[in-house]
Amino acid sequence: MDYTNQIREIATKLFAEGKIDVFVGYRTTGFDGNQVPVLINGPGEADRLVFTDQSVFNLVNYLKHEHTRRKRVGLVVKGCDSRSLNLLLTEGQVKRENLYVVGIACEGVVDEKGEKLQNCTECVVPDPVVADVVLTPAGIRAGTPAPAVPKPYNVNPDVEKLLALPLAERTEYFEEIFESCIRCNACRHSCPLCYCAKCCIDQETATLYHGANTTSSAFHALVTWSLHLAGRCVDCRNCEKACPRGLPLHLLHKQNEQVIYRNFQEHLAGVVEGDRGAFYKYSLRDPDDFIM
Amino acid sequence: MEATTDQLVSIEKPAITAPPDWEPVIIGILCNWCSYAGSDLTGTSRLQYPPNIRIIRVPCSSRVDPWFLVKSLQTTADGVLVSGCHPGDCHYISGNYYARRRFLVTKNLLNFLGFHEDRVQFSWVSAAEGPKFAKVVAKVTEDVKKLGPLHLYKKENFSK
Repeated sequence: MDYTNQIREIATKLFAEGKIDVFVGYRTTGFDGNQVPVLINGPGEADRLVFTDQSVFNLVNYLKHEHTRRKRVGLVVKGCDSRSLNLLLTEGQVKRENLYVVGIACEGVVDEKGEKLQNCTECVVPDPVVADVVLTPAGIRAGTPAPAVPKPYNVNPDVEKLLALPLAERTEYFEEIFESCIRCNACRHSCPLCYCAKCCIDQETATLYHGANTTSSAFHALVTWSLHLAGRCVDCRNCEKACPRGLPLHLLHKQNEQVIYRNFQEHLAGVVEGDRGAFYKYSLRDPDDFIM
Repeated sequence: MEATTDQLVSIEKPAITAPPDWEPVIIGILCNWCSYAGSDLTGTSRLQYPPNIRIIRVPCSSRVDPWFLVKSLQTTADGVLVSGCHPGDCHYISGNYYARRRFLVTKNLLNFLGFHEDRVQFSWVSAAEGPKFAKVVAKVTEDVKKLGPLHLYKKENFSK
C-alpha cells in the first residue's frame, strides 16, 4: 500500500486550482520510516507528503484545530478515519463543502515491528465512507464511494479473555492500568471526536495539587471519557497510539462497542451518513431484563 | 505541602474490613415525574424503607449522564440506584428509552472494570408504586450491605 505519488499529484493539483488552503497528510520523520502528520500550506511543499502502510494516525483530529478552522482543507482518510469524519459532519463540526477528502481503500496499517495493528485485523469497514476520490490498487476511483459491504464483526480477543476472568482478577488488572495513568490527557486530545471546548473530566486535572493525579482520578477520567464516546467511537485507536504509558485504552472502547453491537441492532458508529450514534436513537425492543 | 514522588507511589491500600456499625451509602437518582412522586407516596403512605438512600431529583431518567454514576462511586457511594418511569410512560415521551441504552452500557462497563453488578442498579417505579419503591430500596440496601463498603478507586483513599 503506497500512494505517495498519487497523493502528491492530487495535492499539487488542488493547490494549483485554488481549491484548498491547507492539506493535511503524513510525512516521514527520518527515524525508521516513522511517520507524523504534516500540514502543507502550498504546492511547493507537496513533495513532503507520503503515504505507506506506516501512516497510522487519524488525521481527522486536525480538523478541530485552529490552523484548519474556517479554511478549505484537503485531507487523507483511511476507512476508520472516514467514519470519524462522517460523525463530525453529522454533528455539524465541519462543513463538507470546505473539505476535499482523499480516501484510501485501506488494507491495514502496521506498527514499528511491521505487524498489522490489532484494530486493522478486526476492521469491519476498510473502505472510506466519505470521500471525493478513492485511491485503490486498481487506480483512482472518483465520486461517492460504492456502498460499503460490511465485513463480519470480530470480537476483540483481549476483551473476551478479560470477561472470562473472575471479578477479582479483572479488578486487579484494571487497578494496575489506572495506577499507571499519568493524567496527561493525550488520549482526549488525540481523539477526533473529543471537541468539547470544556471537558467534564477537567475538574480533576490540576496535577500540581494533592491527589489530583491518582488512581482514583484516572478511573474517573478514563471511564467517563469512554462512556461519553460510547456509541461514537470508531476504533481508530489514536488514543492508544498517543498514550505515553502505552495503556490498553481500547479495552474500554471495545467493551462498550461490543455491548452496543450485540444489543442495539448491530450498530456501528459513523458507517451510515446522518447517524449520530447508538445513544441518539432507541428501539422498543432494547433489552430491559436488568432493570427492576 | 508538596508530595514527593515516593509518597505518591507508595499509596497504602486500606483494609477491606467493615466496621461493625457500618451502613452503606446509596445514591438514588430519581426521575421527577414517576419515581420521585413514587417515593413521595411511599412516605405519605407511611411505608418504611431503609434510610441509607440519598435521593437526587432529576427531570427525567435520560438526564442521568453515566458520569453521575462514575462520580458517585468514586466519591461517596457504596451503591447507586437509578429509577425512572416505566417504558411508554415517560413525561417527555421517549426519555427513558434513551436512558435504558445508556444504563445497559454503563452497567456492563462498570462490571467489566471490577464493580459487582449489584453496586449499580436500575428500576422503573411509577408514581402509584409506593410499595414497590420501598421494596426496591430495601433490596438495593441489602445487596450492597452483603457486598460491604466500596473501596475500589475511592477518592479519599488516594488523596495526600
